[in-house]
Amino acid sequence: MAGTITTVREHEGDLVVESADIVAEDVVALTLVDPDGDALPPWTPGAHVDLILEDGLVRQYSLCSDPADSRVIRVGVLKTPDSRGGSRFVHERLTKGSTVRVRGPRNHFPLVSSPRYIFIGGGIGITPMLPMIAEAEATGADWHLYYGGRSRASMGFLDELAAYGDKVTLVPQDEAGILDLATILGDPRDDTKVYVCGPEGLLGAVEAKCGAEWPAGSLHLERFAAKEIEAPAEGERSFELELAASGITLTVPPDRSIFDVCQDNGISVMGSCHEGICGTCEQVVLEGEVDHRDSVLSDSEKAANDAMMICVSRCKSDRLVLDL
Amino acid sequence: MQPTPVPLEKVDLADLDVFEKNEAWGMFDTLRKEAPVHWNEEHDGGSGFWSITRYEDIEAVDKDPETFTSTKFTNLEEPPEEFQELRRSILESDGPRHLALRKLLMRDFTPAQLRRYEDFLRGLAALTVETALQQEEMDFVDAIAADYPIAVLARLLDTPEEMTPQLIAWGNEIVGFSDPEYARVLVNSEESQKYRHLPFSSPVSQEIFEYGRTLAAERKGGDGEDLVSKLVNRLPEDGIPLSPEHFDNYFLLLVVAGNETTRQAISHSMKALIDNPEQMQWLLDNPDKYPQAIEELLRWASPVYHFRRTATRDVELHGKTIKGGDKVVMWFASGNRDESKFDDPYTLDLSRFPNDHMTFGKGPHTCMGSNLARFEMRIIFETLLPRVASIAQTGDIRRVRSNFVNGIKAFPVRIESKQA
Repeated sequence: MAGTITTVREHEGDLVVESADIVAEDVVALTLVDPDGDALPPWTPGAHVDLILEDGLVRQYSLCSDPADSRVIRVGVLKTPDSRGGSRFVHERLTKGSTVRVRGPRNHFPLVSSPRYIFIGGGIGITPMLPMIAEAEATGADWHLYYGGRSRASMGFLDELAAYGDKVTLVPQDEAGILDLATILGDPRDDTKVYVCGPEGLLGAVEAKCGAEWPAGSLHLERFAAKEIEAPAEGERSFELELAASGITLTVPPDRSIFDVCQDNGISVMGSCHEGICGTCEQVVLEGEVDHRDSVLSDSEKAANDAMMICVSRCKSDRLVLDL
Repeated sequence: MQPTPVPLEKVDLADLDVFEKNEAWGMFDTLRKEAPVHWNEEHDGGSGFWSITRYEDIEAVDKDPETFTSTKFTNLEEPPEEFQELRRSILESDGPRHLALRKLLMRDFTPAQLRRYEDFLRGLAALTVETALQQEEMDFVDAIAADYPIAVLARLLDTPEEMTPQLIAWGNEIVGFSDPEYARVLVNSEESQKYRHLPFSSPVSQEIFEYGRTLAAERKGGDGEDLVSKLVNRLPEDGIPLSPEHFDNYFLLLVVAGNETTRQAISHSMKALIDNPEQMQWLLDNPDKYPQAIEELLRWASPVYHFRRTATRDVELHGKTIKGGDKVVMWFASGNRDESKFDDPYTLDLSRFPNDHMTFGKGPHTCMGSNLARFEMRIIFETLLPRVASIAQTGDIRRVRSNFVNGIKAFPVRIESKQA
């Protein structure tokens, strides 16, 4: 398989909705094309795009079309009642012929080659699984997909999945209960990769089952909310940033990080990954309630509220004071 | 100064002569322009590698461990499968285990933690500088750059002072594994085959292991605040204890990474300041700009030329197909001279800002000691420069024969001192 490096040169542009199809209760599938019919950037299974909606609201959606078809990309969007309105906007405002700004694709959930796969999709988490199983099938891997949902009517793409016969097991909760992870996962195997996308409860349960027993690197999770450092449902807020050692006070707007704002104002701050994973940019917190979004600090370290990664973390209170 | 361009067909980044002569830069420039993904054969039995030389490509590779894994080792050497587990350290791990190993010590290197060492560092820097300035003629590496970082490391490891020369010698041998002047057993030599179970295929690794194990045995169960005590007494967050082999490799990494690279950065920085006297003057006139200037000196120094990854699947980049299993080399030094990222990359501009160099890498494996290195550099130059009335290079620089570390072995200088 020939893929393309993720995030090498990120594409951003306006695409046109070629079709918007309701594929299940509260799930719309948007098929997007270039307005001039140009080829879209290449991507690999597991990739997602940002849809840039009104007011700079950004939402990530997995691609669920065929990577070999460079004419279109397709995303599946679940309407969620509790959101700031990202999915509602998609459902109500993006119709055939609408234009939407798209950034990406990029892939944080790539399919690693393996002789055997277990795919688990929960609800709208089925979307990245569609190109993944197509690829697994094409490479001749031994694979099985378990697809859980509230009810059959809430589960999209069933017609496409039917083509794979008994390699796909549907588990509508109202008929068959919840996914039986103990049976699905079975004993740890070193020839198997496990791919999971779905609600946090499912991810946590699979993580707990796989955690210590399966070989490191077996489990691959797509966790948009945490890993993608997505804005909270009520949206990002701005806050006041006081740099105690420098004696200046700045404002961090919703669309900028603390790191950016420091740098914009000529404050020398160190950083490297800008994704909350490397730990280089840690700063000492003097006041303010930190909204931790990194992967560096443990839960207890986060609770201590005395240090933070300024590349991704923000502030829940109106004022943050750093020893900087 | 812009290096002399090298025609593409003459580019060979496996040729150590090139690095010993400091001629890799012209090759990097050619590759960035003409062949950003470039296949390089190896002549010592290696399987060859792809060179990645543009800033944003290096960053993409470094941030995508699923596609470009560290688990197949991270230098050009390809250790035999049967020894890989034995030799594996945090450098050659990915995913949750990597993060768990990293977190064992990560927070010991935060700026806030390091501030505790400020008085110690200032005292040590003053002692180093005053001792060196007793004479005018000196080798800068021996007199200033080498001892200072290792003394810091000795403090962090809490090793006795009499061990310091031994720590320096070990660091030299390990990092100079391809340099006959440093290494007793050259990597990929016939003799090194006997040591392929050891990191860098070097018998020195065994000596370092044995010393580390002695320290570990003494400190296990204690409440020491030194890094060895923390390593042996802390449980990684994934609940899997550090195996004896993992401890060995972690300790070795601290000994090597903790001193050699910082020494090189200090030597390169001094050379850059001598070659750009107006920049040195600017820094003396703007002492609040040291942190910013250190970033430029780090970009300039690029003490680590590369780290290696291995593709886990076929990947297309700039029209080339990198096959799963191919070695992929991120030339950080080249990224630090990428003209699309840095204006006039061959100009030393201590006021450059922002300065998002890749000297410490860019992804989950970003150097854990980066803030310590910055701190050490700032303090040594804050201490040294005000004491210098004039400084001149008095002879040729000799470089480490390596395409891994960009190292200076000998750097003769004359320093006339003044009262600060």
